[in-house]
Amino acid sequence: MRRTLTRREWLTASAGTAVLTGCGDKRPIVPSMVSIVRAPAYDQRIYETVRRMVEEHGLEARGRHVVLKPNLVEFEPESSINTHPLLVHAALEAFRGMGAASVRIAEGPGHRRNTLDLADAAGYFKTVPGFEDVFVDLNLDDVTRVRPDRQLSRLSALYLPNTVLGADLLVSMPKMKTHHWAGATLAMKNLFGVVPGGIYGWPKNALHWAGIHESIADLHAAFPRQFAIVDGIVGMEGNGPIQGTPKPAGVLVAGRDRAAVDATCCRIMRIEPFKIEYLRLTSGGGSHITERNIHQIGESLSAVATPFAVIPELRWIRMENS
Amino acid sequence: MAIGILAGKQNRDGGWPYVRGSSWTEPTAYAVLALLAAGETEPAKRGLRWIVARERRDGGWPPQAGVEQSTWVTALVALLPQEQLGARAHARAIRWLLETTGRESTLTYRLREWLLGNPRPPEEKFAGWPWIPDTAAWVGPTSVAILALDKEYRRRPSAAIRERIDSGRRFLLARMCREGGWNHGSVRALGYESGPYPETTGMALAALRGVRSPGTERSLAVARRFLGECRSADALNWLRLGLLAHGQLPAGYCHPVGIENRTLPDASLGLLAAEAEKGRDFFLD
Repeated sequence: MRRTLTRREWLTASAGTAVLTGCGDKRPIVPSMVSIVRAPAYDQRIYETVRRMVEEHGLEARGRHVVLKPNLVEFEPESSINTHPLLVHAALEAFRGMGAASVRIAEGPGHRRNTLDLADAAGYFKTVPGFEDVFVDLNLDDVTRVRPDRQLSRLSALYLPNTVLGADLLVSMPKMKTHHWAGATLAMKNLFGVVPGGIYGWPKNALHWAGIHESIADLHAAFPRQFAIVDGIVGMEGNGPIQGTPKPAGVLVAGRDRAAVDATCCRIMRIEPFKIEYLRLTSGGGSHITERNIHQIGESLSAVATPFAVIPELRWIRMENS
Repeated sequence: MAIGILAGKQNRDGGWPYVRGSSWTEPTAYAVLALLAAGETEPAKRGLRWIVARERRDGGWPPQAGVEQSTWVTALVALLPQEQLGARAHARAIRWLLETTGRESTLTYRLREWLLGNPRPPEEKFAGWPWIPDTAAWVGPTSVAILALDKEYRRRPSAAIRERIDSGRRFLLARMCREGGWNHGSVRALGYESGPYPETTGMALAALRGVRSPGTERSLAVARRFLGECRSADALNWLRLGLLAHGQLPAGYCHPVGIENRTLPDASLGLLAAEAEKGRDFFLD
């Protein structure tokens, strides 16, 4: 029989995590491990790369229900707007190989209602065998009303999809992109896609009125059991997340701590993470995302950093000398 | 999808899911319309009973049973024949629509913006409808609300309904993309123009029945282009309905082969679009 944690257990787990990572007390922060791996192209090598990355982080997937959450936005297979399907398939194979009880791909796009048509156009049907059998449209999934345990936004409660609430591990798989409102859209912002359009509409405008950064922080808190793999092989710079231009960065970035992963991605993009409001909100003033509090493995930041262009209104978020 | 298969997908509770699972208001409303159009009254009646039982105290409908919020799907309920839904429930749905606007059109919001010295953007001058109350108005829910009110106006004209239809249509015209057509409702952000989508272009054109302007002409040209390129059943259904509303569906148009219905609303709308091509338009009758 399928075993899922209750909300109470999640709260206990997340409270425990907060204590262990030093939130609210003076104990030293336990550095979060983040890996950076070079991946020059979307080719067959990606399967081995992703498998090694996942193993490196010591994830326990055997018997677990895993949900992969890519970023699907638009009907443009040749652009860098969507998470590449080959990367998602590589993650699916990696978790299956680790003995996961189930691995599903799930997404709820923010603007387009015809999700399966969008996934088809983005190459998912062609790349992932039996795609329709493993995919869940989160916009149309059954929902449960949840009260965020740490509420920063004006959302007192949120309906969330049961597929994601029931997952033992949620793997956020965003594209490495600039974002014209949020600065950067990475593992944490990617969770906007779990908010069901069937309840909130297209776009999920309730999150904007409740505060974009605060809503990102609330969603982050609602799902403590996560992993992140960021698709930075070809990212997007400029007027992201939709109208930007492809930016080859040739990297994958992964880790359990999404704030640390996102802060690392920002540094690769030469964006100052402390100037991304949701990262500051999530990391309790920022100490959690300082470079010295991130245990980085794989490539060094200096070896892979490549400045992502930003729109003029966001020049202030760029790191100095970039 | 044959009408029999649609009837076969009905849940035991009388409603329909989007694909499988629990019943939702949107697929149920479209399925009932399609079944009524096909003369399949028994499953339609069970669907109507499911819908009637979901009405909320404020006269609106939730997207799914158990969701404590009335939303845009109330417009779909208002599209159902008044004599089938029941006069009181139908009147309450219409009233809910008349009382609902995007948050940017509310007096409180406008007063706040005025006090802050923020100028009112041109696209916010006309009241549209939101997906969910207390949020901004968008093209999708505004189009469906106009369709429901227009149907009601044809049955029972009133100044209040006329006013909201006119305002909603101005909202749509103000949210048109520069090249013509519509996306979800954000024409430009930070000075960057956004392009149209097929499905929302079809929806908005359906709601702008009888409106002639250079903008609608540009949008009809965009819709015809999309009709030739698009591979989404949902988008093709709305493009057909939008072009039909302006008498602009190309003569002898054939639905392309190999287009899959991804959801049950796709199947229902496809059946309704086919009926509309035969002259039986569920937005009018």
